[in-house]
Amino acid sequence: MNEEKNRQIYEKYLEATHRLGRLSCAVTLLLLLGAPFVMGAYLGAMPDLGAFGKGFASIGLVYFVSCVAEYLIYVPMLGAGGSYLAFITGNLINMKIPCAVNARDIVGAKSGTAENEIISTLSIATSSLVTILVLALGVLLLIPLQPVLQSPALQPAFDNVVPALFGAMACKYYRHNGRIACPTLLLMAALFMLVPALTGSTSFMIIPSGAAAIGLAWLFYKRDAARA
Amino acid sequence: MGILSQLNSPVIFLICGSIVLVVALMCVVFAVRAYRAGKAIGMDVTKMKRTIVASATFAVLPSVGILLGVIALSGSLGTPWPWLRLSVIGALHYETQVAEAAAEAVGISGLSASQMTAKAFSTIALLMSVCIIWGMVFSLFTCKRYTKKLGAGAASGGEKKKSALAGFGDIAMTAMFIGLVSAYLGSYLGGFVSGEGLFRFAGSWLPLAVALVGAGAMRLFLWARERFDAGWLDSFSIAGSMLIAMASAIFLGRLA
Repeated sequence: MNEEKNRQIYEKYLEATHRLGRLSCAVTLLLLLGAPFVMGAYLGAMPDLGAFGKGFASIGLVYFVSCVAEYLIYVPMLGAGGSYLAFITGNLINMKIPCAVNARDIVGAKSGTAENEIISTLSIATSSLVTILVLALGVLLLIPLQPVLQSPALQPAFDNVVPALFGAMACKYYRHNGRIACPTLLLMAALFMLVPALTGSTSFMIIPSGAAAIGLAWLFYKRDAARA
Repeated sequence: MGILSQLNSPVIFLICGSIVLVVALMCVVFAVRAYRAGKAIGMDVTKMKRTIVASATFAVLPSVGILLGVIALSGSLGTPWPWLRLSVIGALHYETQVAEAAAEAVGISGLSASQMTAKAFSTIALLMSVCIIWGMVFSLFTCKRYTKKLGAGAASGGEKKKSALAGFGDIAMTAMFIGLVSAYLGSYLGGFVSGEGLFRFAGSWLPLAVALVGAGAMRLFLWARERFDAGWLDSFSIAGSMLIAMASAIFLGRLA
């Protein structure tokens, strides 16, 4: 009885989340696409649509493909509320995804559950607010902070935020999944060594890397199930 | 008035700041709703509070890195626009790449304040906005169907298939994350081994070394957590490992 009540509450919450999410996306899209024109009007120089078309043809398609891949991969990880917020606030790979996965692991939430949906949303909303706050404070303090933050001595630290993050995450995830992690890492290392130009497209290489890891996981899962 | 003064004017700050504020309010609304729904369905409040603390601590360091991106771009695009882009929708690596490519498309040789014009700025701003909107566009039109389909996919095909898929779901998510991490670690390895020519081992080893320090620091955190049964360390292990690894980059950078 209680379970049925909880299910109803959760379904009602999900429906409302979709409505709110779509509304938030629509409002953000309007604001973001309108801002260049509003700023252009203020500056007395509207965007050059010819140059925009040329620029879009050269780089737009690349990011379109990247966005499609990110969308297909991350929505199952984040659930509805988390996905809407993550795609609005950005910084997925370097913050939102690791942050949500970390939170999920800390509380032991299983994917596809109501708990995962709530935890992902809380995690992404909190991390987004922290980023907004840090950036707002940073912008306020930008002038006095600039010499410290841009000092050559600190640059290597801030240039290596992503390697620092992925090193830590690798330890956490490789530890109990060596049979999936080792072949995947070897495969990717071999690819990047043999085709060095791929280093400029690392975000696209997540797709074959993820596919290889999921494929291996499925093989081991089936084998273990057959043995059990 | 110089172009940077125009781009840093109070009106541009107001336009960008208003959008940041709207998005901050959205985050608050989503968080409050999720918290209330969690309580209503009987979730452990302590778990939700731990999520908030862990996510807040986790986000601080990357946010400082993102702030540096704002600073880096503010020299050519002013402060308000990079502030908006990196607070909403954008990503550090993406914004810099697109802004550079957009600058070339509008006929100036890369991002530089000396060549920036008001027209070039508004065109670059539009291009930066349009290139990365697709995640939001897909969410707007297909997220509901997609998430329902994911749920239905797991539910179809009888109980046996359902439990098999449900059991594999978590493994698949972990595997996806292993794939993501492996792509980046592989790129650091490849960059070092072949970055300056096939198998010349002359590329930068710094990202790889920093990743190794990050992994070592995380190992220590995990050991301490298990050894002293200190669950609270989970909230700080990622941020702490990152901080140690980033600090190591300052010293390792002198050797590289």
